[in-house]
Amino acid sequence: MYNFTFHRPTTVRQAAGLLARNPEAKLLAGGHSLLPVMKQRLAQPSALIDLSLVEGLSGVEQKGRSIVIGAMTRHADAANSPVLQQLLPGLASVPASVGDPQVRNRGTIGGSIANNDPNADYPAACLGLGATIITNKRRIAADDFFTGMFSTALEDGEIITKVSFPIAKKAAYEKFKHPASGFALVGVFVSKRGADIRVAVTGAGANGVFRVKSFEEALKKRFAAKSIEGMTIPANGMNSDIHASPEYRAHLVGVMARRALAKATA
Amino acid sequence: MGTYGSRSGAVGMSAVVKALDKIEAKAKKVAAHMLEAAEGDIVFKDGKFTVAGTDKSAAWGDVSLNAYIAHKFAGQELEPGLKETSFYDPTNFTFPAGCHICEVEVDGETGKTEIVNWTAVDDFGTVVNPMIVEGQVHGGIAQGIGQALLEGAVYDKDGQLVTGSLMDYCMPHAHDLPSFKVGLTETKAPSNPLGIKGCGEAGAIAAPAAVINAITDAIGSENLIMPATAQTVWAALKNGQPRQAA
Repeated sequence: MYNFTFHRPTTVRQAAGLLARNPEAKLLAGGHSLLPVMKQRLAQPSALIDLSLVEGLSGVEQKGRSIVIGAMTRHADAANSPVLQQLLPGLASVPASVGDPQVRNRGTIGGSIANNDPNADYPAACLGLGATIITNKRRIAADDFFTGMFSTALEDGEIITKVSFPIAKKAAYEKFKHPASGFALVGVFVSKRGADIRVAVTGAGANGVFRVKSFEEALKKRFAAKSIEGMTIPANGMNSDIHASPEYRAHLVGVMARRALAKATA
Repeated sequence: MGTYGSRSGAVGMSAVVKALDKIEAKAKKVAAHMLEAAEGDIVFKDGKFTVAGTDKSAAWGDVSLNAYIAHKFAGQELEPGLKETSFYDPTNFTFPAGCHICEVEVDGETGKTEIVNWTAVDDFGTVVNPMIVEGQVHGGIAQGIGQALLEGAVYDKDGQLVTGSLMDYCMPHAHDLPSFKVGLTETKAPSNPLGIKGCGEAGAIAAPAAVINAITDAIGSENLIMPATAQTVWAALKNGQPRQAA
């Protein structure tokens, strides 16, 4: 690990100020993606700005027809939140399926979506529910937020403070885990909220999380697994690595989507 | 030159037995002096030396002590001490045998294999410590399941290992394994004095074959390479004749 300075601001404003003064700085949330790459010397931030002392960044609460999750909310706390389990259990199952207990007790929703790992779970939930990502500067629709593998619409000095999820009547996540890492080899989040039907896929796409318009179209008639029976998506554009071929990933998208729909409509 | 594998018990403990035989023979000489009897009349049983046909006896501790103060009574004929060395080279290998039965369920849509039942009976000859032996079998099966389903070293075209971390290289986890049912039969090995057979590798030898046989039986295709990951089984499934569970 290379040298870096370490800051522990207590307000978002302080954190933003530090970020503005240190262009090579990184925000530290749970650290489960950032610290390993720093240890391997693949990342060399000049400073770490630890957000753990910033007040008001954690917690899950209902606000009208939405659930708002603070950016520093740990996966375990979100998964075990009674509010979330009761009002949007499909979303609660997402942090519950992340990694292992150690990761779930450290990792945060803000860290996960800011990193936008192509195999991470939360991006699928954000896109699959049409969430709004709230920063210290603005509100960004999930459809505009995830801009490619490990890249987002976040600008310099911008800090995610919370994520707002509309309470969809039907929502579920189904994930095919990589056996070693627990990351999503393919994860599909489906939801229906009035006429808004969403099918979002993580793990599979060469450009990170994406929506399957053909499935969404077919589900307009009836929101059920049967409506996309036998449907597939092209392998073209799927990620290819040592863990899975594009063909296998494309196939799993259909399987996981049908299973998520079965769960959402059960 | 190492142990050759699965022979620490069979070879090492045989050497211990041989050395103990020498100790016992020498201790009998000491006891014969102590009990004023002929060496041939000394019987060693239950940690006690007795003179056959009498009630005269000496405890192991007393005999040991006297072995170290042998000058008092037998210094001229008997070297003090109870320390012996033995070398042992077995006349043959040992031949443990067993049967491992693996039951799998294959997800027809994803190719993911779940091991739902494991029953194994092995014959390791004389078993000295059953708990250790059972642990060896458990560990061996887990290692074999890892080989069959999960563990694959992948190199890129430059020879760089790309499965260089446990995030990429899948070791078997507890949740990848069923609860094993294991049993033993005991047919003594003729090639060593205790009748012990090797047990360390049994699980690791049986498991890959049992797992792959179970999968090929389930999917109706023998065209399967290890590790039989979900993707590998999914690809094989497309050409197979899957069977339904009975």
